[in-house]
Amino acid sequence: MRSQFWGLFVREILRTFRNPFVLLMTIVQPFMWLAFFGSSFGNLSKVELQALFPGAQSYIEFLLPGVLSTSMLSVGMFGSMSTIQDKRFGFMKRILITPTSKQVIFLSKALGSASRGLVQIPVMVAAAYAFGVRFSLTPMEWLTWVAALLCLAIGFASLFLAITAPSTDWQTPGVVANFITMPLMFASSSMFTTSQFPSWMQAIARVNPISFSALLGRSFVLGTATDWTYLGYLTAFALAMLLLGYAVSARWLKVE
Amino acid sequence: MSGPTPEVSAPSAIEVRELSKRYGSVQRGVLALDRVNLRVPHGTVFGLMGPNGAGKTTLIKVLTGISDITAGEASVAGFDVRRESMKVRARIGWVAAEVILDDDFSGWENLWLQSKLQNLNDWQERALDLLKYFSLDDRKDDKVSQYSTGMRKKLEIALALLHQPSVIFMDEPTIGLDVATRRMLWDIVTGIHKEFGVTVLLTTHYIEEADALCERIGIIDQGRIIAEGTPNELKARVRADLVVLETRNGFDPGLITPLPGVQEARPQGNEWTIRVASAEQFLPKLLQAVPPEEVRRISVEKPSLETVFLDLTGRRIGQEEPMRDIRRFYVQMRRARR
Repeated sequence: MRSQFWGLFVREILRTFRNPFVLLMTIVQPFMWLAFFGSSFGNLSKVELQALFPGAQSYIEFLLPGVLSTSMLSVGMFGSMSTIQDKRFGFMKRILITPTSKQVIFLSKALGSASRGLVQIPVMVAAAYAFGVRFSLTPMEWLTWVAALLCLAIGFASLFLAITAPSTDWQTPGVVANFITMPLMFASSSMFTTSQFPSWMQAIARVNPISFSALLGRSFVLGTATDWTYLGYLTAFALAMLLLGYAVSARWLKVE
Repeated sequence: MSGPTPEVSAPSAIEVRELSKRYGSVQRGVLALDRVNLRVPHGTVFGLMGPNGAGKTTLIKVLTGISDITAGEASVAGFDVRRESMKVRARIGWVAAEVILDDDFSGWENLWLQSKLQNLNDWQERALDLLKYFSLDDRKDDKVSQYSTGMRKKLEIALALLHQPSVIFMDEPTIGLDVATRRMLWDIVTGIHKEFGVTVLLTTHYIEEADALCERIGIIDQGRIIAEGTPNELKARVRADLVVLETRNGFDPGLITPLPGVQEARPQGNEWTIRVASAEQFLPKLLQAVPPEEVRRISVEKPSLETVFLDLTGRRIGQEEPMRDIRRFYVQMRRARR
């Protein structure tokens, strides 16, 4: 099982780096959010900024942990698309006519696409630095932030793979992305504080893993108090989604 | 029941007993395999011959563990395909109808991935030997997207052989290939069978391919094995010439059946397939009996695998849906170019 997992995991990673377009897509989308959306509050006075985004020197500083968190959603979509490509081109059959189980295929796809998503972190951090954000995180805080984003990426990659397991249609990941991305992105602490939200959106934001990751990262970037339980929630989210995907793919992962 | 019931004896490379496969529900679904029985002895090249949609690919999917069995039993390399699927998959190789490789990878990297999937440790030497055998060693580091169709097919066979399987499944291995590549592939199939002592089960709807390559042939039609044996045994079954008569309009069958030498006359629309002891003796009598203006075409077929199929089913292997094959060919070509 380890051998098969390693082969398929490395394949996922290599395929990304050999396909510049996918790599570019992974990086450009969150970068655009940071550049355009992040600059949209550029003219706020210091008082207004503190009222809306407490503790932040700029909106980009506030937004960075949120955008990195929401961008982990796209990781799931790309993982699903790569799986559907394997089904359509028969590669899934090639894999399964070896002693490789469907669960191993799922694990390699989930962890492969999640790892791919981590490429976004250095790029986004460097971009934020270029926009004037300064970082004073301890190595432990950097590591925890990356671990939180990795948990989020694994969770969403697994969720997408579980939902799209029975599908062979190119369009499915896009449709699923629309259903998942919009509500989870906006009903979270990723772009705004939740105090102005209506109560139903606040309820979603309170259990939304994107909020946990955004708040955790934000506490490191802004140097405010850290709620370490968020890391526990994110680990639980990743494990629960991994288990879900593992079980679903064993039963419903379609071969072609 | 279709086909001969296998005798109980030493395990064969492939054994199939009363195997059925249904897609969909009992009421609306399709019975793709209908109580198939089959035995493929170790070390043979066995051909499964039949028209498109006969059930050839379904049988391969079931035997390789890609599809579930609806009823019956099957074992490959001595292991039950349902209960010991992983053991089966460690002992089989597979060559797809359409070439399936990772185009982002080099030939060597495709072999590396296959070694990981097959959980092999010392695979490099074997991989190099295979690349040399297939004359791919000087191109091993090139991306396979830069390979010709023939080279891709060779690499796919090398992948199938890497873990020293006891059985290789080849699903329509030459479909869509040009004549020269097809001939090359025939040589390869014969070669690997001799060189590596592997049992080969291939499907084809090319009669000349089955005749040239296979020691034994199973004829499959509408999900049932309708005959099985060596090419010569199958041809000997016919023991007659077939005269195919196409007329302009329908005419009284009473004209043909009483003619001397006629063993059987089967109509299909305006076309008659007539089994006769000797076509040479029969034709003058036929031309006397049938009004000349009625005759559109007459052809004579001596015993061949084609006439075996015609004799068994009243149809030709390539008779139905010729467009389907062409569409499949173009799909393959598009994939090969990607």
